[in-house]
Amino acid sequence: MSASSPAPLGPFQDNLPHRHRVGAVWQWIFFSATVIGIFVLSALLLNIIDGAFGYVALEARVDPDTLAVNGVPLEELPKEELIRILQERLSASAFNKLNDEKPFEERSQANVYDLVIERVVKYQVLETWSLWESLTRSAEIRARVAEEFPQAELRFVSWLTVETIRRPQSSEAVNAGVRTAILGSLWTIMITIVVAFPLGVGAAIYLEEYARDDWLNRLIRTNINNLAGVPSIIYGILGLAIFVRALERLTSGAMFGLVDPTTANGRTVLSAGLTLALLILPLIIINAQEAIRAVPQSLRKASLGIGATKWQTIWAHVLPNALPGILTGTILAVSRAIGETAPLVVVGASTAISFDPNLFSRFTTLPIQIYQWTSRPQGEWRHLAAAAILILLTLLLSLNATAIVLRNRFTKRF
Amino acid sequence: MVIINGRKQERRASMRKSFESDIQHLKDELLLLGSMVEQATLDSVEALKKRDIEASRRIYDMDLKINAKRYAIEEQVMILIATQQPMAHDLRLLASILEVAGELERMGDYAKGIATINIRMGEQPLLKPLVDVPRMAQIGASMLHRALTAFVNEDAETARKIPAEDDEVDLLYNQVYRELMTFVLENPQNIERANWLLWVAHNLERLADRVTNICERAIFIVTGEIKEIKSTYDEFEEKK
Amino acid sequence: MDTLDNNRYVIQARNLGIYYGDFKAVTDVNMDIERNKITAIIGPSGCGKSTLLRAFNRMNELVPGSRAEGQVFFDGEDLYAKGVDPVEVRHRIGMVFQKPNPFPKSIYENIAWGARIHGYRGNMDELVERSLRQAALWDEVKDILHRSGLALSGGQQQRLCIARAIAVQPEVILMDEPASALDPIATLKIEELMQDLKKDYTIVIVTHNMQQAARVSDYTAMMMLVNDGSRSGTVIEFGETTKIFTRPSDKRTEDYVTGRFG
Repeated sequence: MSASSPAPLGPFQDNLPHRHRVGAVWQWIFFSATVIGIFVLSALLLNIIDGAFGYVALEARVDPDTLAVNGVPLEELPKEELIRILQERLSASAFNKLNDEKPFEERSQANVYDLVIERVVKYQVLETWSLWESLTRSAEIRARVAEEFPQAELRFVSWLTVETIRRPQSSEAVNAGVRTAILGSLWTIMITIVVAFPLGVGAAIYLEEYARDDWLNRLIRTNINNLAGVPSIIYGILGLAIFVRALERLTSGAMFGLVDPTTANGRTVLSAGLTLALLILPLIIINAQEAIRAVPQSLRKASLGIGATKWQTIWAHVLPNALPGILTGTILAVSRAIGETAPLVVVGASTAISFDPNLFSRFTTLPIQIYQWTSRPQGEWRHLAAAAILILLTLLLSLNATAIVLRNRFTKRF
Repeated sequence: MVIINGRKQERRASMRKSFESDIQHLKDELLLLGSMVEQATLDSVEALKKRDIEASRRIYDMDLKINAKRYAIEEQVMILIATQQPMAHDLRLLASILEVAGELERMGDYAKGIATINIRMGEQPLLKPLVDVPRMAQIGASMLHRALTAFVNEDAETARKIPAEDDEVDLLYNQVYRELMTFVLENPQNIERANWLLWVAHNLERLADRVTNICERAIFIVTGEIKEIKSTYDEFEEKK
Repeated sequence: MDTLDNNRYVIQARNLGIYYGDFKAVTDVNMDIERNKITAIIGPSGCGKSTLLRAFNRMNELVPGSRAEGQVFFDGEDLYAKGVDPVEVRHRIGMVFQKPNPFPKSIYENIAWGARIHGYRGNMDELVERSLRQAALWDEVKDILHRSGLALSGGQQQRLCIARAIAVQPEVILMDEPASALDPIATLKIEELMQDLKKDYTIVIVTHNMQQAARVSDYTAMMMLVNDGSRSGTVIEFGETTKIFTRPSDKRTEDYVTGRFG
């Protein structure tokens, strides 16, 4: 068709240029939305990375150089020398307390060195700078430190180190780590999965495969959907009432004779896990229901048509085919649980845990730790929080990756 | 070409085995009907030659069987058309079988006509001993046999050659006609007996004509084109 | 009509009616299904053909609120009598569906699973081979038995489903429009296969394709809505396929098979 003489179209006025123009405008809008999304996410990530590295002005209460013996630097001193320094510089009670935690004979040289740094040298953070500042205003920072803190040492540090992961919480930012928080998170999530996955999938199977479609079941379904939208703090209150208070004997471990009933406390890892399980149960049920519903009816008919029982049909055909969907839903739910803070605060997460948690111990988790560090006034804690966020992100990614690999293995079977 | 045809044949056979076997069965029935007609024709002339009234009555029974067989074939064709939805070659074949079965039944009627004449003649002797008429019957029967075989084998080549033989039958017919006319001219009292024999010869001449129709159908199945085969010596053209 | 002859007939329906809740989908069906024959059920859409078929192995019960009245005798025993286990019924009366629905498992496992759940104790390899041979699929899949059943073509998948149904050694195979999702060549293969299978099994096929019913079946049941505004279907004529398609006795059948329906 030539542009100069369009063929008569009868009752149609096709107005093609206008229609194409409208399409192009919408395409541009959608593209912009994508760009904005990517930009915001990058900004977030950059901000975190920006906080996780940078210059730190440190001042030692006791200069480590003065502790050197016969020219041998502090970190190369033998264990016995280091113990001697501790004995000299600490009060007798503090020294004995350390010995009680773990006898010095059993400690390694590195461990004792750490103690000397922590208790005797006592680095104090005077000021911190972000990565961007450290890179762009390096000279300015040096000049300022030299002027304001002549005693201080300026170091370029990565807040995220193997040590950060290995060390427990501490009162000094330079010595603090997320070991206890990671372990707390892992414990909690494990309990959450162990409780919520079978319960959720079981309920979903019942609702989809067995329950009749009557008003009661419709009511239950609607309510489960509503529960998924309830603010998580409500679950925290629920968890506090049920697991921490009502079931204290169980959640504190007193029932198993693990702690003294009089001092038993329900604010434990178990309570936290159960609360989070409660929180994600509706999500898992809904997702599992969707996945089960997505298994084609023809497959059930095929199975029943050759004389399989309902359970054989569910076990051999419905579940294997719904599993990838169920796992995807569970991954999403668990990811949400890992990042939850509010309900755990209500249930009673502790701020500073310096020991490895177990099922019946007080707990903290990574998000809680991050939340607390970011709310402290000193800048160094915010840098540490940035490092912790990176760790949390890595943890989330690796958990998800594991789950995805697991899911793909189930899917790829056929 | 042959290989392609062979492959085609093979694939079709494997795809619709039951339909193929139904068609094969139908062809067998058609051959059976053909041989019944052939036999009836030869028997009817033989009975006339021998003036065997009993044998002629048996032709009547034979004709009933021929008619019944024709209807059975027709029924079978209808069922196959209704249930198997034949297309192209299959459709041409089934339509042709319907046509050929009808032709055969009419040929059977010619044999029955000859038997009727024998019975009507009663005690009267033949006007003349039969020489050319049995010859006509033999040629006709032979043509029928080969035409039907060509039809069932879907052999267009053979089918194209057979109609030429009709000329010989036509020549014999004309010969018988002239001969009988001389008897009539000689003695007008012979007119009835001459007429009877003329009828017999005419029936045989018509039979041979109808064989041509079977040949036309055989060619039609293969080529898909219906073409009238003109014999060099056409009865009507000659008379008009 | 009330004489039961379970030597000649494998399924005999008596005054069979099927309800979905308050809606009566099928009314008053009486029909005898002859052993080792193919019986076709034809009729316009929505007249209850598939419903009737599913009543023969109690698959209707999967639809909530469905129930049956009357009797269906299978080898002389009422399928709807108290204490009859529908699982057992479906073992002995198998089913092939409209859309090929192989399990998302290997070809081998598609066949073996059914046998295994029924406690088959024989040689599984032999059973798989025999079933696939009977379904005219063996030559095509013998080298890829451990590949997914879903990797096959539509026609092959449907034959796999037939092999799966055969593997549990039923007496009757119900086929619900088994070729409607297939191309003409695959359709012809299925039809030819049915001719081979009737030596060992009785086949009941529902089809909306009249020509197919005409081609494959020995007997045809013509279903139609009862003319009382109830939207309920019933069998209006049942007899030899050749008769139904050449000289039906019911005017409505005549109108339907000649395409003058409605």
